[in-house]
Amino acid sequence: MTKISIPIGPQHPLLKEPLSMKVDISGERVLGGSLRLGYVHRGIERLAQKRNYVQNVHLIERICGICSHIHTTTYCHGVESLLKVEVPMRAYYLRALMCELERIHSHLLWLGILAKHVGLDTIFMHVWHDRELALDIMEEITGGRVLHGANQIGGVRFELDEAQVAMIRAGVEKLHTQVEGVLDVIENEPALIARTRGVAPVSADMIKKYCVVGPIARASGVDVDMRRDNPIPPYDQMEFSVVTLPDGDALARTLVRVYETRESILLCERILRDIPDGPVSTRVPRKVPAGEVIVRSEAPRGELFYYLRSDGTDKPARLKIRTPTLAALCLLPEQMSAIQVADIPVVLAGVDLCVACADR
Amino acid sequence: MIEGLFYLLLFPGLVFQVVCGLAYEWLDRKLLALFQRRVGPPWYQPLVDMIKLFSKEDLLPEGVNERIAGLLPLLSLSSVLTAGLYVPIAGFSLYAFEGDLIVISFLMSIPTLAYYMAGILSKGIYSLLGGGRSLLQYFSYEVPFLISLIGPAVMAGSWSVEGIMTSQYLLGPFILYQPLGFILAFVGLIGKLKRDPLDIPSASSEVVGGSLTEYTGSKLALWHLVMNMQAVVGIFLLINLYLGRSGMSNPIIAIIIFIVECMVIMGMLSATSAVFARLRIDQLAGVGWRILVPLALAQLAFVILMGV
Repeated sequence: MTKISIPIGPQHPLLKEPLSMKVDISGERVLGGSLRLGYVHRGIERLAQKRNYVQNVHLIERICGICSHIHTTTYCHGVESLLKVEVPMRAYYLRALMCELERIHSHLLWLGILAKHVGLDTIFMHVWHDRELALDIMEEITGGRVLHGANQIGGVRFELDEAQVAMIRAGVEKLHTQVEGVLDVIENEPALIARTRGVAPVSADMIKKYCVVGPIARASGVDVDMRRDNPIPPYDQMEFSVVTLPDGDALARTLVRVYETRESILLCERILRDIPDGPVSTRVPRKVPAGEVIVRSEAPRGELFYYLRSDGTDKPARLKIRTPTLAALCLLPEQMSAIQVADIPVVLAGVDLCVACADR
Repeated sequence: MIEGLFYLLLFPGLVFQVVCGLAYEWLDRKLLALFQRRVGPPWYQPLVDMIKLFSKEDLLPEGVNERIAGLLPLLSLSSVLTAGLYVPIAGFSLYAFEGDLIVISFLMSIPTLAYYMAGILSKGIYSLLGGGRSLLQYFSYEVPFLISLIGPAVMAGSWSVEGIMTSQYLLGPFILYQPLGFILAFVGLIGKLKRDPLDIPSASSEVVGGSLTEYTGSKLALWHLVMNMQAVVGIFLLINLYLGRSGMSNPIIAIIIFIVECMVIMGMLSATSAVFARLRIDQLAGVGWRILVPLALAQLAFVILMGV
């Protein structure tokens, strides 16, 4: 059979964000692939150096449309560490609540996309319907579904009242039943299992070689989770389990994310139970003392890394962001061999690309 | 002459089949929406989609033979229309003759071959992939489908759909004797129509639009129409061969029963679309040749032995 090269992207029904892949195929077999990135590069790291720390919160929120909150949380935590201010515990808990809601909505969104790619539109529709619950909660408490504007340096910009807590409790409980139902379907749907089991397995060695993080690493049995390994408060006081599976194939990547969603729902309930009273923010100076800091946090897709250097002015001297998708992208060409054309969507979905994060 | 034109253009010819095809598409989309907690389109949506497509500019890639590319959907349309003339509707049959089952099954496979040709002709990479896949899929579902059509014919001792129906009039619906054959014919029909669990040749996440990626405007509209009308003819054929005609001599009751049977099959088709994930082409070939064909042969052997 002759070798032909099919373009996937920058515009393709498979992709929700622009990314270009050239995949060499022969018949239905995939021989290899190469990547081209940079379609949504906005120069955010450079822009951040031109704006002051307060403005940067809003700039950084716009890095990603799915995990916008974890970006600002990580950034604010970095600036707060440089300032050495005491952030109220209640603010940390509220941030964590938003982080977990974000993880739930990110994982459900991803699950819907995977289901759509393997032709299970029913799961796609149902899961995205359930995801609305998480979005509704976020809208109720912060006013935004995608961009929340929830964080500020020194705390958060929203407070919960009794009615809102009741609404979140009810919403989270409903999410719990829905996710259990979805899990039941995924564990038992024979066609879905046939499409994902054994597809593009990634070994733990490969994960370590490419420094892949997050659910993909955990699906290959690599036990990393920044919430536990390098916790930002309040995760150092919380009880939760890190889900790992040994197989490393597309099915394991699917199941890890759904189990994590369930774990996040439990975490939301615990946060609501344990949240202390008190103020939600504290006043901070505009200028940040000279110094540098590294912050690592667990975004829905894995470890998010921020390096922040201050020269004593009100603008950062350098802000470096490394998103979890970048490592996963490097793994992608490796996975594009010994699979079939029909597996390309499954492999691409399994990576859970966030191109906007990776390009910044 | 005028009578012939009426049959050809109005009922059971062009207009009736187009209306049925559009109704099928709407019902399918509406049912699927109900399964998926959506609202679904209003009843006129397929019609306005078609009008819109016909009003669009008709473009083809450079170097594609426009005459052949335009001829392929027309060829499929005419073969499906002709097949529709021979399939009895609610027990009403115009041009029945001994052997029309073979003619119908032949005419019904022309659109698939034309679809393959369209993919090869279009010169696009995705079209090429989609075309190749449609042929592979054809080899997987067509054999069990045809064997499961032979079952009723052997049982009735007749190669005409009308003869099979008359035989069911006496013996009762063949689905009671050959439930397996009915299921296989149903699966084959899904494969033929490239519907959801078996939409391998046109899976958007894998091959964008399949063979029809490069088609636009009126030609694309014709292709969609062909698919819908093929579905209608397939459903009618399935009902005639397996569900038969109950002992009703009143034509109105017969029509009502026929419509109910159509709805039941529609519901089954939509439910199958909603519940199952798409198979890979190698998995389909495996299922087709390792499971469906032996099952179909076993069913056929059972029918032949029962007749002896």
